[in-house]
Amino acid sequence: MVIIKRKELSFIEKLYLPQIFQALSHSFRAMFQPRITRQYPEEPLPTNEVTRGQPRLTLLEDGEHLACVSCGLCEAACPAYAITIDGHETERFIEREPERFEIDMLRCILCGFCEEACPKDAIFMSDELELADFSRAALVYDIDKLKRPREELQGRIDYFYQVNDRWRTPSSTS
Amino acid sequence: MTRITINGKEVEADPKKPLITACHEHAAQVPMYCYHPGLTPVGSCRICQVELQQGEIPPRIVVACRTPVAEGMVVNTETPQAHDARRQCLEFLLKNHPLDCPICDKAGECDLQDYSFSEGQAEGRSVEPRRKLEKRKNLGDVIVLDQERCILCSRCVRFFEDVTKKPQLTVSGLGSRSVISTFMDRPLTGNYQGNVADICPVGALTLSGFRFQARVWNLDKHLSTCGECSRGCSITVEVLRRKEVKRLRPHFNEEVNKWWMCDHGRFSYARLNAEDRLQGATLHQDGVPHPVDRETGIAAVVDMLRVHSGAYILISPWMTVEEGEQALAFCHALASPPRLLAPPTNDLKDDLLHTGEAAPNRRGLEGQGFQTQSRDDALSALAAAECAVLIGERITEILGVEALAELSNSIRLIIFDTHALQVSATNVCIGIPNAAERTGTWINVDGHAGRIAAAKPAPPGVASLTRSLEEIRAALAPVAGEVGS
Repeated sequence: MVIIKRKELSFIEKLYLPQIFQALSHSFRAMFQPRITRQYPEEPLPTNEVTRGQPRLTLLEDGEHLACVSCGLCEAACPAYAITIDGHETERFIEREPERFEIDMLRCILCGFCEEACPKDAIFMSDELELADFSRAALVYDIDKLKRPREELQGRIDYFYQVNDRWRTPSSTS
Repeated sequence: MTRITINGKEVEADPKKPLITACHEHAAQVPMYCYHPGLTPVGSCRICQVELQQGEIPPRIVVACRTPVAEGMVVNTETPQAHDARRQCLEFLLKNHPLDCPICDKAGECDLQDYSFSEGQAEGRSVEPRRKLEKRKNLGDVIVLDQERCILCSRCVRFFEDVTKKPQLTVSGLGSRSVISTFMDRPLTGNYQGNVADICPVGALTLSGFRFQARVWNLDKHLSTCGECSRGCSITVEVLRRKEVKRLRPHFNEEVNKWWMCDHGRFSYARLNAEDRLQGATLHQDGVPHPVDRETGIAAVVDMLRVHSGAYILISPWMTVEEGEQALAFCHALASPPRLLAPPTNDLKDDLLHTGEAAPNRRGLEGQGFQTQSRDDALSALAAAECAVLIGERITEILGVEALAELSNSIRLIIFDTHALQVSATNVCIGIPNAAERTGTWINVDGHAGRIAAAKPAPPGVASLTRSLEEIRAALAPVAGEVGS
């Protein structure tokens, strides 16, 4: 057993007044320093291409069809089981496209595995981070909510290729 | 038996079988594309190359599928020379194979993917463009051919030659322009076309009904038995998201169906996925259906059977042996003879698998003591009966909905089926699970037992037939006791 003796306070310390003035001086000094907090909903967070926000699907140049061929690799890679894909046949050259592509944003942990797994440059992490609604069902995003023109995600796509070039080998895909 | 050495281990091998079988039996992984245990080996793909030493001859590379087993062979599957031979062979096979894997339905169960991973090299060295051929060629209604993906192993060609004995496919063209085609571009015919999609080692031949429907790694596979004829082929039921049966595939069974199954059975999954299933029970009173829960339905059945004790009981040949046991006890409790409805026959009978008798368990139920009754006999007996109990999947379908509707309005019908039946007579329908939703045993026409497995959950409010019959029997028992005392 160890007996710890409390330190005896001196008379000045027992008054507490010096400490009060010390704290007040800290507060008054902070009033005239630049602000480091942010008025969040009005002032949005600055993002850049490194930001891993919610995943989004890219559209092809025609602006109509998704680049996705519903291969299911993002679905298989997703550690949170957030993605559900049903494919169907299409008359286009690519033969297969998603009929249903849903990401449960409440499950999504923004890890970016889907973007790494995708062989078709069809899914990328956007800079969109905000997520709020009145029902859970509304936060299961379907194709209409997920699709974005490629230009909107271009910054992230360029960054993704830049950081991943060291392990990507030049592929002979046609 | 012959003694040979595989990878330094002395083993016994069957001299009637090719060397590749001995390798596989003794855990030496030799890849194969053109070789299939059910077909004549041709040695066209060369992927099964192994190193063989025989007597004084120095080691050489041979294809294991075309080499018969001989005394004193020394086989090595893992030497650098054997690996190198297989790697080079794979490089040539992949020379013209498109990188379609994200789109291809075979991805995940593709031999070319698996062996590229284990034996092949990461990058191709070819700079020439790949050949461009037809990507979507319909060979009949069932099979779609992708000529670019084909590696010309000719398994499909040999399937029609060796198994159905009616050659329909051939390799046409020369050299790099060789493609699989039908004779004179006629569509494929016959009841066994679907098998070529199973045996295709790559994604060249696909089923038109399964194309782009699901990724194979998302399918839960359950070993089960096909119920479309009395052959009872062993199959796997493959279910997507515990909800929808996406395909049925044959499962190897030496005694019954080997590696094959017919298209009639293969495409019977639409019935297993039927949407308009009976949930709980339905009471028909004066022709008006009232959906109720199962317990209310069971109570109504008990009330009906208390009044009409000598009910006419007829069971369907789709019932399992286990359900038959319970139905037999039910018949004894009601003191009525156990009767089995004779299965309908169809004109699909052939020499290979299909028996032409559309019922999986007639033999098993007859062995349990059920008396088979033809449809006409059953209908005339029903016309005379006051109360009848029809038990089992598809029983109303075999009897015919129109024929049942013609019965007099005074008959009380108790039906255990997967679907509700609309007839004018007062009746009770109680929902039961279908063949993909229950477990049990079917005895096929040759006496082989086949297990059926619950691959997906039954619709809400549906309990097993065994349980429903047992509950009714238990509720009736005290009454029978009072009468006895």
